[in-house]
Amino acid sequence: MLSSRYVTRAGLSIAGLVAGLSTAGLVAVFSLCGPARAAAGRPQIRAVKPAVAQQPGEYVGQDTCLTCHEQQDYKGTLHARTSDERTPAATKGCEACHGPGKGHVTGGPEGGIDKTKIVNPKTLKPQESSEICLTCHTRGTHALFTGSQHDQRNVGCVTCHSVHTPKGEKQIKAATQPELCATCHRNIVNRLYRFNHMPVREGKIVCTNCHNPHGSANVKLLKTGTTVDEACTSCHSEKRGPYLWEHAPVVNACVTCHDPHGSNNERLLVAKVPFLCQRCHVTSRHPPTVYDGFPLKNSASANRLVGQGCVVCHVQIHGSNAPSGKYFHR
Amino acid sequence: MRNRVMIVTVALLLASSGPAMAQQQSATPAAATPTSGSIDFGFRASSIDGDKARWERYRDLRDGALSRISFGKETDQYIFDTKVDNIGYHDQRYEVNYNNSGKVKFTFLWDSTPLNYSYDSSTPWVEQSPGVFTLDPATRLLVQNNTPGIVAVPTTAAQLATPSIYRSLAKPFDIQARRDAASFSATFAATKDLAFNVAFNSTRKTGHEVKGASFAFSVADQLPLPLDNRTNDFTAAAEWMNQRGTIRVAWDGSWFNNNIHEFLFDNPVRATDTNPYNPSGYSNGQGAAQSRMAAPPSNNMNVVSAMGLYKMPGRNTVNAQLSLTSMNQNDELIPWTSNQVINSPAVFANFPALARLPRSTAEAEVRGINALFNFTSRPNRFFGLTMRYRYNDHKNNTPHFDGVEYVRLDAVPEETGSETEQFNIKQNTFDLNGTFNLMSHTALRIGYTYDDFKRTGRAFSDSTDYTFRTTLDTLGNQYVTLRVIYENAKRIGTGFSEQSLEDGGFQPGLRTYDESDRVRNRGWLVFTVTPTSMVDLTLSVAAGKDKYHGPGHEFGLLDNKNTVYNVGLNVNPLDKVRFGANYGRDQYTSNQKARNASPPGTDYGTWFDPNRDWFLNGDETVNNATVYLDLIKAIEKTDIRVSYDYSDSNNAYIYSGPRIQELSTNRALSGPSAILYPRFTIPSPCAAGLTSCFEALPAITNTWQRFTVDLKYMFAAKVGVGLGYWYEKFVVTDYATVDLPGQPGTPRIDYLGLISTGYGNRPYKGNTGFLRILYLF
Repeated sequence: MLSSRYVTRAGLSIAGLVAGLSTAGLVAVFSLCGPARAAAGRPQIRAVKPAVAQQPGEYVGQDTCLTCHEQQDYKGTLHARTSDERTPAATKGCEACHGPGKGHVTGGPEGGIDKTKIVNPKTLKPQESSEICLTCHTRGTHALFTGSQHDQRNVGCVTCHSVHTPKGEKQIKAATQPELCATCHRNIVNRLYRFNHMPVREGKIVCTNCHNPHGSANVKLLKTGTTVDEACTSCHSEKRGPYLWEHAPVVNACVTCHDPHGSNNERLLVAKVPFLCQRCHVTSRHPPTVYDGFPLKNSASANRLVGQGCVVCHVQIHGSNAPSGKYFHR
Repeated sequence: MRNRVMIVTVALLLASSGPAMAQQQSATPAAATPTSGSIDFGFRASSIDGDKARWERYRDLRDGALSRISFGKETDQYIFDTKVDNIGYHDQRYEVNYNNSGKVKFTFLWDSTPLNYSYDSSTPWVEQSPGVFTLDPATRLLVQNNTPGIVAVPTTAAQLATPSIYRSLAKPFDIQARRDAASFSATFAATKDLAFNVAFNSTRKTGHEVKGASFAFSVADQLPLPLDNRTNDFTAAAEWMNQRGTIRVAWDGSWFNNNIHEFLFDNPVRATDTNPYNPSGYSNGQGAAQSRMAAPPSNNMNVVSAMGLYKMPGRNTVNAQLSLTSMNQNDELIPWTSNQVINSPAVFANFPALARLPRSTAEAEVRGINALFNFTSRPNRFFGLTMRYRYNDHKNNTPHFDGVEYVRLDAVPEETGSETEQFNIKQNTFDLNGTFNLMSHTALRIGYTYDDFKRTGRAFSDSTDYTFRTTLDTLGNQYVTLRVIYENAKRIGTGFSEQSLEDGGFQPGLRTYDESDRVRNRGWLVFTVTPTSMVDLTLSVAAGKDKYHGPGHEFGLLDNKNTVYNVGLNVNPLDKVRFGANYGRDQYTSNQKARNASPPGTDYGTWFDPNRDWFLNGDETVNNATVYLDLIKAIEKTDIRVSYDYSDSNNAYIYSGPRIQELSTNRALSGPSAILYPRFTIPSPCAAGLTSCFEALPAITNTWQRFTVDLKYMFAAKVGVGLGYWYEKFVVTDYATVDLPGQPGTPRIDYLGLISTGYGNRPYKGNTGFLRILYLF
């Protein structure tokens, strides 16, 4: 008789899978058969209410906005491409994102400025300001933003991006990605300076080579694959296998043994060999032997300490395709 | 050659660049201009002491011409830009982007990344052809015949005084690898709502890497094994979007092809296969004259996926993704062994399974399913709900391979193997979070995650993480930003199988830390104060502790603790002046337990003897600091950037426990097994005359510093000159890196139980100067 716990878990698994499949299907149906799309060239601001309700269509035009907000021009960015009918510049200009401006321009005392009658993403809650961007930016790498880890932590679009005064590529608020991400993830960025590291500080890869900060189907916002291993082996394909002889912690996750952000141990390991291996290989004979300064200087067992340690013999540590490869020697 | 190519390229560009407005070098987007760009051309020279390969690592810093070129053209219809770095160097990069009004987008990237292991290594093996390494046969015969006075692989301290005969045969060999990747991506917007995307990436890895290639416990070898493989990735996707939702379907294919199927390498202590085979050959090297090792197999992976997003009424959103994965690998298998003495009827009579392989190819395959469902609801300004469900199934369908009889290290046939064991993992994750907006711009989130793993082939068939978290985020206040998170997670395993531990020869009290019961507590705080718009001060603190415990858990990783402090200051008093500093301290400690024992059932009884237990505490402390100063046109026409980075690490391993005590005091073991000692000589662990035979290992330390200065002076609107200087110093002490006595920095390749390449962690100091001419157009 199956215990209730197992029944519950099985039920959850099945329910979840069905929910996922059903939702994907429903989404497809709604998306394809949903309300008639808006007239071409008019992306709407959805579900974001300006501070004060205004009559729809009370737009004043971009030139009026720039009369006062000259510094907030966005020329030179993709948003300013009038030839792309989806952009703000091709539609309502500034007011495509900030809402109709008439109330702001003339709705104040004696027909003057009223600062409360315009949408200012800086004063909105992060999730509310993100909804403005998500009116358009819901495809590709942005599709899973809502409900993602950053969204849940009130990290909105304008936390990292600036439409008007970007400093780096993709309109981020810092010159480089590590500099931006270090705002919150300083302890991770600090690891890049350890002497074994991925080539981030050399400018060869950036945070978004591995992560999608906008949301992902993988864990830890990894942008490729559906597990840690699939993400890592998208570049390190020689480790992908599958192998004839597998090594259990490798199949579990690469981060069981490696720290991809930086380490003071060789090959980005979380601990030095043989000590890392000895966390799990408590068997008999040489695996749990005490390797210290004495064998280092006096016996052939020094080969477990110098160079690559255990992996100089167990070289196929990620998995072996050799018939005699049970212990990863071949 | 590379200098000539670069000079010609730059000259051509200078000759062909038309009139244009000047463009800022920074990444701030400039006003739209017909054409724009820059040519940054100059020369670099360096002086290096020490490990030059480590200094370069992922860079090619050879002396010579250097270049950075960018070119862009923007019209009403399209944007085109291209960037080129380091033409002709091993780290060169070429990038092209094209965007036609969002209707057609095209990107191309060629990027080379070197990985420089060592320029001071050497090896007595000769690579006759890719993957085939031979040693001088006459020398091997001398060793095999135990010629007096010849040392091949030292096994005692006394033998270290005599250079190995292989040291004299070793030839210098730079160990370098390189990754060249070409990627292409195109997006076509068929309509405003429908887009198609194709992408292709081809990555080639060449060169050599440091790998083991061993024969026995006392004959471990390290070789510069070759790399020659290519991975081709292809993606095709279609995406449809309207005001309410998005749907995307995609196919991703990846093919890894390894042009090297196997490695063959000679045994330094055997010229001929030991005949008859030596039952201890896997220990003393008396095995095969040549060994064969399988290279990473060619493989492929295909993923089909569908993703959807729907914005429901009432500020509710759902998004979901489903993907199906197929991984395959069907490489031809190498034989059981290269040892021709073992490949004989006489041996097959006792080990019949070794007469042939159960199958000729791997037939390895994995199937995966991943489903993700997110539901987010924000019904009002005060409350939000996020629910997430994730399902991931990794199922290995590789047929079992009977390896009960196998050949250990090409030396000894045994029947202590097993059938292959494939590890399946099925994960169900349910995550629920409620966000309460307590006041303006302050949100409290409370969440819970249920994360269940079902695994095969492990000690626990099931382990579940129950995580409670709470976060507080206050932002939007111009003076203060605070982010805090605390998590408590409990992992509980069920379905424990002591048999699986026994099958693996593990102590019954071992629990592997990736599946064992665990209690985790961790928290993190980031506090930023911005008293004025010119200054921000950030303090972050993170702490975490994992305690691995559970019924019967005695050995393995027991706990680890991590504490991180960081303080940073940024000051931007003027647009032209920025400076700042950051200091961080990271401390990580771990505690693990093992038992130094002989197998159960042997005469010593050590398997069950707690006096054989020992502990290892790892204690790592890292300090890092960064200081920078940017003066952008603070002096007329001049940009100056100065930075200093520092990282210092001390990593100690501290032993304790009864076994360590016994080794330290050089006495026979206590307990029941001590009774047996008069009958056996082995348990006396120390050599005669030594008063102690445990010696703690020294801490591994390293300090890395980098100082850079870059000065750019625009003496005309479009023309400038640049001067730059880098200073980089790395100091390291690592007992695992062996140098010749009295010659620090000179690798010793013949050490105890090992013929290595000499690769290790060695210090360096480098000074690099740059002189550049900058032309803007």
